[in-house]
Amino acid sequence: MSVHAIDRELDRLESLWEDGLSDTYRAYLEAVAGYEPTAQPKLALAAALIEIGVRLQGLGGRAAAPPTLLMGDLCLARSSRLLADAAPQAVQVAFARAIEELSAAAAAGRAVPPTRGLLLDALEAR
Amino acid sequence: MIGKRVRFETTNATEFVDITELLRQEVLRSGLRMGRLHLQSLHTTVGLTVNENEPLLLRDFEGLLQRLAPENAGYEHDDFARRFDIALDEPVNGHAHCRQLLLAGFATVLVEDGELVLGRWQSVFAVELDGPRHRELALQLDGEFSSPAHHVGRSAPPAKRARPDGAKGARNTDLVELELARQLLVDPEPVSEPMRRLVEAGGKRLRPKLVQLTAGIGPRSEPLRAAALGAAVELLHNATLIHDDYVDESTHRRGRPTVAAAEGPERAIAVGDYYFAKATRLIAEIGNRDVTSTIAAALEAICASQIDDVALRGAFPGDHDSYLRVVRGKTAALFAAACAAGALLSEASREVVDALRRYGDLLGVAFQMADDLVDFSPSSGKPVGLDIRQRVLSLPLIYAAEDRTVGPEIRRLLEGSLGDAEVRHVAGLVTSSGALQHVRDEAQALVDAAVRELETVELDGLRPTLIGLAHSAVDRVS
Repeated sequence: MSVHAIDRELDRLESLWEDGLSDTYRAYLEAVAGYEPTAQPKLALAAALIEIGVRLQGLGGRAAAPPTLLMGDLCLARSSRLLADAAPQAVQVAFARAIEELSAAAAAGRAVPPTRGLLLDALEAR
Repeated sequence: MIGKRVRFETTNATEFVDITELLRQEVLRSGLRMGRLHLQSLHTTVGLTVNENEPLLLRDFEGLLQRLAPENAGYEHDDFARRFDIALDEPVNGHAHCRQLLLAGFATVLVEDGELVLGRWQSVFAVELDGPRHRELALQLDGEFSSPAHHVGRSAPPAKRARPDGAKGARNTDLVELELARQLLVDPEPVSEPMRRLVEAGGKRLRPKLVQLTAGIGPRSEPLRAAALGAAVELLHNATLIHDDYVDESTHRRGRPTVAAAEGPERAIAVGDYYFAKATRLIAEIGNRDVTSTIAAALEAICASQIDDVALRGAFPGDHDSYLRVVRGKTAALFAAACAAGALLSEASREVVDALRRYGDLLGVAFQMADDLVDFSPSSGKPVGLDIRQRVLSLPLIYAAEDRTVGPEIRRLLEGSLGDAEVRHVAGLVTSSGALQHVRDEAQALVDAAVRELETVELDGLRPTLIGLAHSAVDRVS
């Protein structure tokens, strides 16, 4: 699958792409294979952005410094917009619930469940 | 019988604080079905009254109080040389005590079927006469009670209070408050408690108001869906504030400690994330793809602008173009999206949606400019110069820094560290320049432009309310 398909979705996130986002994106490609071809890259990128975003923020661990937090926020927001563009309603809801689960655990001081597992389940929600 | 205290903060020397909604929430929480709500001011310069919440009428009342007990009439109470045991911070406020004599210090409101019994135009006011200050009222509720949960579960209680925009507007406002309360009720406590504190501390609820107003414009007007969308937008807004407060190192918001200050940045990040996700879910569950995309795009603009805002602090105070770019993302994007999303929900025409989006954008920028002006107002209730201290983009400061007379001194001061004295000095220089009036004029011009956007489309009778809302965005500092 061409990375060019998502080039324009990486505005301001180029450095993250070089720094692990591309690998995370590729890790989700298999999970989105059952979706419409045009939706696949957007959905894989949306999932990768959430995984990278909460990691940047330090969710469930030590709080990120403000500039890094803001980059994490942008990842989550970009992901939300990609899902609005390309995901069925049930998948949008499932992704949101995954972040709710992660953040509720972090707020309660409980162990945060692995993000990737939650997001792979969310992709099955259609 | 239940007894309790409620606190609120005033922001002006004289101020009519509409506490109807606050009292309604207390009745709701208590489960009082049939009985009385007694309230009593715990201050000698705060009165209580029941009257109409109409902005011009409130100005009339203020004028009346001013005429009957002018501030500078000379009061024996203010002759400290003749008084004993006066506090070091005793204010000169004889006029405020005399004005309080004209009002009651206590009131009773009947409650029937769990609702305050108020006439269509009646609102309950606490009248600040010597503000800005933190204030406190004593409440007692007595009568027949049912379980509070039973009452909260009602989907659409009849509204007995009217706002200037009529009974429909009041009922819709109640729906958003109920929806917010309902959503917070089902969330885990570690996230819901900090958010509840923030939501209950106030806020203008402008964004949900815009959603609800514009959701009444098209052919498909559904108040419950509009309230759900309005509440989600408000939660989203508050989620961004929680992260902003950590980024800006703000210690207080709406008179209360920020989540980051009270519970640490880790909790603040988690609470912000939770409500970001929950709000996007609630919006997705409404099931209108255009609405979802509109709000998602706004959220992206907010986050991108926040990054720009922080980056620009290296070149503080910045310039007009940078300011506009940041403010259009950080503030105006959600105003515009709220307007457009409401209209989309009601299936208004594309022409109407676009006009309302432009209206919201202009209104949002004007609103932020007015907010900047508040930073220089000694009667705002906030410390003067907070934006300067935190090196937050501020248009009055940008203009003053470009001023030929005071600009060089301001820029010199901003290059160094900003202690109390420096902040006061910079704020004084800004105030002495023409910058505040310049910004006020610019904000007013934007409001005028926003109003013009409304002239080109059919708005089903809502134009006057939207115009009033736009003017109120800048009137708060005029």
